[in-house]
Parts: sequence; structure tokens; C-alpha cells
Amino acid sequence: MRERMAKLAACAVLMIFSLATPALRAQEAAATLSGRVADSSGAAVPNAKVSIRNLETGQAADIQTDRTGTFNLPKLVPGDYEVTVSVQGFAVKADKVTLTAGATLTYNATLTALPAEPQPQSPASSGANASPGNAPSLQDLGFSPAEIKGSPKEQALLERRTHMLKIHQRLGLITTLPMIASVATSINAGGRDTSNTDRTVHMILGSATADLYFTTAYFAIRAPRVPGTRSRGPIRFHKAMAWIHGPGMILTPILGALAYSQKNNGERVHGIAKAHGPVAIVTAGAFGAALLSVSLKF
Amino acid sequence: MSMPIDAWTKAAVNAKQNAQCLAVLFLSLFLALPQRLVAAEEQWILDQSTLTYHVSHPLHQTEGVSHAARGKGVCHEEQCDFLIAVPVKSFDSGDSNRDLHMLEVTKGAEFPLVTVRTRLPESDSKSATIHADLEVQFAGQTACYKQVPFQLTPQGSEIKIAGTIPATLSDFKIGPPTLLTLPVKNEIPIRVEMTWRRQ
Repeated sequence: MRERMAKLAACAVLMIFSLATPALRAQEAAATLSGRVADSSGAAVPNAKVSIRNLETGQAADIQTDRTGTFNLPKLVPGDYEVTVSVQGFAVKADKVTLTAGATLTYNATLTALPAEPQPQSPASSGANASPGNAPSLQDLGFSPAEIKGSPKEQALLERRTHMLKIHQRLGLITTLPMIASVATSINAGGRDTSNTDRTVHMILGSATADLYFTTAYFAIRAPRVPGTRSRGPIRFHKAMAWIHGPGMILTPILGALAYSQKNNGERVHGIAKAHGPVAIVTAGAFGAALLSVSLKF
Repeated sequence: MSMPIDAWTKAAVNAKQNAQCLAVLFLSLFLALPQRLVAAEEQWILDQSTLTYHVSHPLHQTEGVSHAARGKGVCHEEQCDFLIAVPVKSFDSGDSNRDLHMLEVTKGAEFPLVTVRTRLPESDSKSATIHADLEVQFAGQTACYKQVPFQLTPQGSEIKIAGTIPATLSDFKIGPPTLLTLPVKNEIPIRVEMTWRRQ
């Protein structure tokens, strides 16, 4: 009993250590991005928005330049970033930078002024006074200020969503490998003359599939929703399939564990455990259909 | 003191001649002015449009369509300035997930409109084919396309215009989106079909 408790405690310590270490490491090795934003004459550009986005994790942050046109973004995770500098009246400037652990990178941006926007005109006045200098403006086209104005907040939401769904997609692809292997090994695991090894291999592959599957599902479920968007097209089928393979992926390991136990006791698989195979096949089929629905055009 | 009769007659003739001159002047102004006003007031309004972008992927050929473009052209001194704008959100590829992804990679929430500006000679409206220099603002970037050919088909007071803008993702510094880790092609030609009405 004492030995078991010691093992459990060791596991817990190991787990805490493994969870805490990356966070501590990130804090210790944080990078800083600082710099100055100026126009083509070298004059400081205050209130310019400096946005950064980690190209690996998609994590984003932004800051505004102060009166001297300078900015400072500390405590950043080292890696490759996209830096975007934007302010009204100037062309947006975007670059890629690499931040290294513990170092401060100086990024100075020189912005190019945009030509002056045509003045808003009323439709009645725009014709008679037309000249090359007063070409139509967006207001002339009937766009409201709300339609013209961008929303960095919504953009950040979209980026977070895409980032999570990209991980979902990659993990989904990786999940197919142990899933196919599990289905393949089930032939040896489920027959009359099966060995313990065959069943164990099948069980390990099945467990790996389930672990990867639920991690994949997490990224789809937790991806932020975009308000006012209704699902259309193949993605609806993809989501509908989740109502089959989701419960299937919960049931399959449970039934598999029952079948495994019955087999190990020298019994024939009986009762509800007999459903393990059919449920697994339906689950794998629904998972495959969900994958194909967003991969191929029908 | 009174004027002699000859002087009265002379003054009356002069007055009559002056009145005739003024009448001719007013008439010529009256005839000339409306033409100038008509020339200055000519405008073109975009009535209907179909803009279609085409994306190529090893597994997919996708098209996104928008009918939400708005446009106006203002002519002056035989030159017409055109502005066409379309909300990025209005493109429909038939899949909401793909459209949201497109919106994300093109920074559509931050820069919600695609705008196209061009200047054309007024006489181009009578040609069968025009070559336009386009200035396209999209995803916070500006790209210029020189001498893009468009076919013109006049239909009464309307003109139908069709052509393809040879846009690429790199023109607007857009990283190619991926599906199953495979990126799409850099070329995203945009087919333009518009009906313009003279006002």
C-alpha cells in the first residue's frame, strides 16, 4: 500500500514538474521587441498600432506608439513573429522578425504616407463639380462608416479560431494513423485463436487513437465562434458526423475494455462487449467521412 | 435743353443694335451651357456585378462569388474616375468554414473592403475592348495592375464589362492558406462581370 502511495506521489510530482517547467522556462527566457515608428522624413509617428503575431502559436498582442513614436513589448515567447504597423494616413507595414530567448530586438519602421482620400461628396454635388481631384469616394457608394471601419478585435478572434482549427485539422490527420492500425490489428485481436500480445497491441493502438481523438475534438469545441455566422456547405456534414463518431469514440474503448477482460479470462466475448467491433467500425467510418467531407469536393 | 431728332434716331438704332447683340449673346450662352453641364455631370453607376475569385488546391478548385459590389464613375474633361468597392465578407464559396478562413487570411475583419480605382478616357465606352490600369486595395495592401483587358458590350444605356484581374496572394502579402497541410496556389484570378448604367 505504502509503495503504491509513493508511486502515485512520484507520478504527481513528475506531472506538476512537466506542466510547470515550460511556463517557468518561458518566463525566464522571455524576449522583448522594441523600436520606433517614423514617417519618411524621420518624424515620429505617435499612436501608431504595432501588432505582433506569433507565427507558430498564433498568439497576438498589440500596442500603440507613444508621443516619441516608440514602443516596447516585453515578456514575449521567443520565436518567429509577424509585425504589422498601421496608422491612419499611412500604408500598412508588415515584416517578419525572429525573437531570441532573453534578447531585445529593435524594430524601427518607416511608414509611407498615403495620398489624400477624396473628400466625401453628396451624389447631387459630385457630378457638376466633378474634376480629376474629386473622384468618387466610399461614402458616395453608400457605405456607412461602420461598414468601412475595420475591427481588430474581430480579426483577433478569427485568427484565434483559425489557429485552433489548424491544430484540430493536423491532429485529426495524425489520429487516422493509429485508428487505421487499430482497425487492422482488430482482425488478430478479435478472432478465436488470438494471443495476449495481439490483444495488447490492439488495445494500445486503440488507446492512442482515443487520446488523440479527444485532443483533436478539444480544439474544435474550444475554437471561438464568430457571431452571426451560420454553418453552410460541407462543414455541416463534417459537424453532423461528429454526433456519430463522438459517442462512438466514448463507447468503443469501454466496450473494448470489457471484451479485453473477457478474453483475458478465457471467456468468449459475450453480452454488450460483442458490440465493440460494430461500434468501432461505424465510428471509424463516420470519422473517415468527416475527414473526406472537408478534404475532397463532391 | 433738348436733343435734335437725328440724335434721337441714332440713339434708338444703337439701342436696338445693342439689344440684338445681347440677344445673340444670351442665345449662344443658352445653347452652349447645357452641353457643358451635360458633359460635366456624366456619371456611371454600377447596376449589377458578379465578382468571382478562383483558388486552386491540389485537392480542390474553389470559387467564391460576390454580388455585393458597389461602384460609381464620375467623368470630367473626357476622363472618368471609377471606384468599385466590395465587402470581403460578401464572398460566398459555398462553405461557411472556408469563408471564415478566407476572411482571416485576408484580414477581412480589419480591412473590410476591397476597393478598385481606375481612370479611363470617356471615349473608351464606345470600344469593344479596353485596357485599364487598376489600383486595388485589399488586406491593407495596395497593388497595381497595368493594362488589364476588359470586354465591353453596350446594351442601350447600359454597358456590360467582363474581364479577369490577374491577382496573386503575394501581391497583397497574404500567406497561402493550407488544407491538409498543402498550400493553395499563389494565383487567385478574379473574374469580373459588371453592368454599368449611364446617369
